[in-house]
Amino acid sequence: MPTRKVRRLNAKLLMPSPSTTMDKYKGQQVSGSLGDTIAFLDGILGINEDFTVRKFNVFGQFPAAIMFFSCMVNQDSVNSDIMKALMYTPPHLIGRSIETNQLSDVIMNDSLYHSKSSLQGELTALVECILRGDTVIAVDGMKESIIITTRSVEKRSIEQPATEQVIRGPREGFIEPLGTNISLIRYRLQSPDLRIQTMEIGRRTKSKVAVCYMDGITNPALVEEVHNRLSKIDIDTVLDSGYLEQFIEDNHYSPFPQVQYTERPDKVVANLAEGRVSILVDGSPLALVVPTVFNQFYQTVEDYTERFLLMSSIRFARLIALVFSLVFPSLYVSIISYNPELIPTDFAVAVAGGRAGVPFPAVIEVIIIEISMEVLREATIRLPQQVGGALSIVGVLVVGQAAVAAGFASPITVVIIALTTIGSFATPAYNAALALRLLRFPLIILAGTFGLYGVMIGLILIANHLLSLKSFGVPYLSPLIPVDFQGLKDLLIRGPLWLMNKRPAFLDPVEETRVSESKFDELKKTSKNVLDPLNDKSE
Amino acid sequence: METRQITVIQAAAVLVSTIIGVGVLALPLFAVRAADSGGPLVTFMAMLLAFVGLSLVTWLGMRFPNETIIHYSERIIGKWLAWIGSLFIIIFFAVLTSLTAREFGEVVVTSVLKSTPVEVTVIVMLLLAAISTRHGITTFAHIHTFYFPFLLVPALVIAALSLKNAEVINLLPIWGNEPGGMLKGTLTIAALFQGAFVLTAVIPSMKHPGKAMKASFWGMLVAGGLYVIIVAATISVFGSEEIKKLLWPTLELAKATSLPANILERMDAAFLAVWVTAVFTTLFSSYFFTIYSMSHLFRLKEHKLFSYFILPFVFVMAMVPQNIIQMYEIIENVGRIGLIITIAYPGLLLIVSILRKKRGNPVADNKNVDQNH
Repeated sequence: MPTRKVRRLNAKLLMPSPSTTMDKYKGQQVSGSLGDTIAFLDGILGINEDFTVRKFNVFGQFPAAIMFFSCMVNQDSVNSDIMKALMYTPPHLIGRSIETNQLSDVIMNDSLYHSKSSLQGELTALVECILRGDTVIAVDGMKESIIITTRSVEKRSIEQPATEQVIRGPREGFIEPLGTNISLIRYRLQSPDLRIQTMEIGRRTKSKVAVCYMDGITNPALVEEVHNRLSKIDIDTVLDSGYLEQFIEDNHYSPFPQVQYTERPDKVVANLAEGRVSILVDGSPLALVVPTVFNQFYQTVEDYTERFLLMSSIRFARLIALVFSLVFPSLYVSIISYNPELIPTDFAVAVAGGRAGVPFPAVIEVIIIEISMEVLREATIRLPQQVGGALSIVGVLVVGQAAVAAGFASPITVVIIALTTIGSFATPAYNAALALRLLRFPLIILAGTFGLYGVMIGLILIANHLLSLKSFGVPYLSPLIPVDFQGLKDLLIRGPLWLMNKRPAFLDPVEETRVSESKFDELKKTSKNVLDPLNDKSE
Repeated sequence: METRQITVIQAAAVLVSTIIGVGVLALPLFAVRAADSGGPLVTFMAMLLAFVGLSLVTWLGMRFPNETIIHYSERIIGKWLAWIGSLFIIIFFAVLTSLTAREFGEVVVTSVLKSTPVEVTVIVMLLLAAISTRHGITTFAHIHTFYFPFLLVPALVIAALSLKNAEVINLLPIWGNEPGGMLKGTLTIAALFQGAFVLTAVIPSMKHPGKAMKASFWGMLVAGGLYVIIVAATISVFGSEEIKKLLWPTLELAKATSLPANILERMDAAFLAVWVTAVFTTLFSSYFFTIYSMSHLFRLKEHKLFSYFILPFVFVMAMVPQNIIQMYEIIENVGRIGLIITIAYPGLLLIVSILRKKRGNPVADNKNVDQNH
């Protein structure tokens, strides 16, 4: 058997098939009679209109049949590489007699023009292969059928990632087919250490799941644990990596995501090189990355491609936006309703003036506006793009303005909610922003009941929850808590690349160093001002 | 049992955030009652006394690096005597929890939420602590480390901003006018440090129990230093006679200072809000220590089941004092008893353990190099 690029897992995960028709034939072998094999496959798959059975003679003498789903295979390849190759006797074998027992060797070694082919003797496996888009060739007298990977499914082209755009950095995003996604990773990481192991998850969908990691960097125990968790998933359909995330995360009831997803291959590669494990699912353009810590949710790829000073400050702005989106409305409510003496008197008077005609207490007012903002945001996402823009203008400008004019809300409230909403959009990770959006509401209610004291209680509860969370055993707030001084260089600021010379310690990588400091010093020392006017000897 | 993960920094942070709590609000009052302008000196002496007590505890803990005081006391003085001692420790910390919650509840209803009943603020704080105790001791240490800056920064900012109104003359003479009351005052203030006893529960989970003394030194230095700074700042701003008329001088200090450029018109509500974290950590420590010790006393694997179980008892105890005056009387008395429990009792244990040559099994030091020492 040819060595495959993608190594199968030792413990191959074949879920108990719920299909009773298949169970009946479990373990049955190909009998060798062509008619039996065709009858068997036709009996199970024949009802489908696109199931094709084409009979022909191999080398003009052995009766055979080729079977596939016509809409899932590359017809050209089937015709020219398989049918044609098998019908003609190879030139160097013309005149020699071929025995039936040699047939499989001759076909595999001398005639088939297809690199991905194998032999399979089990009938149910043949069915699975056809379902996957492979082509099966059964030859009369052969105890094994030939399986050729001819799958060709339509796919969209590689585009810019829609949700993670950058100004400086690669523009490629994952698409649905797993093979393409793996190729996007592999060409960026041309290292023999990159390991991609696949398994099948989903009783019905049998989705191919690839676990990627770097051998010699990633902690082997982590890889083991990822496999362990994945292999215990028993679900009938896996349509996206999000299905897996919900099974492998540590705390299912936390609002905070403990697994990061991304549609950027470069991000996956960066994470693999840090010592994380990535999980890809066939049919999903989003790769999962584990373990995840909180700081990943406000980092972007661009942080590392642009110079560190600029990106550190931008990261800081993003952090402020993150905090804004969580606490701003509740702070407003508590200050307005309980501690107006905190804000400067002039401003307090202005706020009171704005609120003069508003019939509700501040907490009700803020909640109403917040909820309508959420509705508006949801509507904008669902609507077709052409209408969405119009709706947001109508919604935000017209309704907001009218609400203030009607005395339904005070102008300051609208400003606060707008800032909060914008703040939550500035968070790069959609799922983390969602969590903070959700937590805003209990905070507002706490602010309405206990003022600043309530807000603090709420924040302490959230912080304690974050501190108790773990992703694959890694404390969620690493490297802040527990403190890792190396990691702090990439927490609030983004340190210079040459200073972040160690991989994150909380991932416990096999090899720690990623940047050689001494080489960098050498680089600085040996750099010369070659074009300095003083060196100009031409005069 | 969880793996040993707590580093020296975390242990020190546990100490600091446990010690610094609601006591800081009334601290300058205790200090000036004892020695007028000698308040900072009294505080400093209290810190030394507390450090002596803590080092006894730490020394004892380092002799038995695998066990908490509940367990090793049994090996030192026998099962029944130790059981009584442990029971006292547990009851004392339950009382400490309830008094902390009550004291802060009073502060909140007096200064911010004027129409809220004190029962509500107390139960909210206790619930907050109870919910948070449902995690292991590693998370306990993480939580303390996380809040550590939230304690130091506001206190230091208030102290720094108050320099504008400070008069050095208020601090003189530094030994006070009537040095006679100093001893009593030292004991009262030293009682504010007794939360540090929680180190006995932390040492068995430390990565390097041998470095516990370092943690207790730094923890005491930072917490005590902050105490001294606050007392000095408050006295220098108000003068000792004025402070005697104030219930929570530190809060008044926050009220008297204002941020530059008038960003916040008044600081007290904001300060109190931030101070919720400081109170929470103190409350959390004593609550956690109570149920953690209970689970050790009854030889249970988990302390979780006690988190809500003792809540009603603690709440009822918190409601026992009739008013603020009585509450502070009780706090002072409980504090004195506490000194016996947190200093004399471990001291006794230490002496007996040395005499009887009892020692715990040394811990094989973690081979992984600790990055944070």
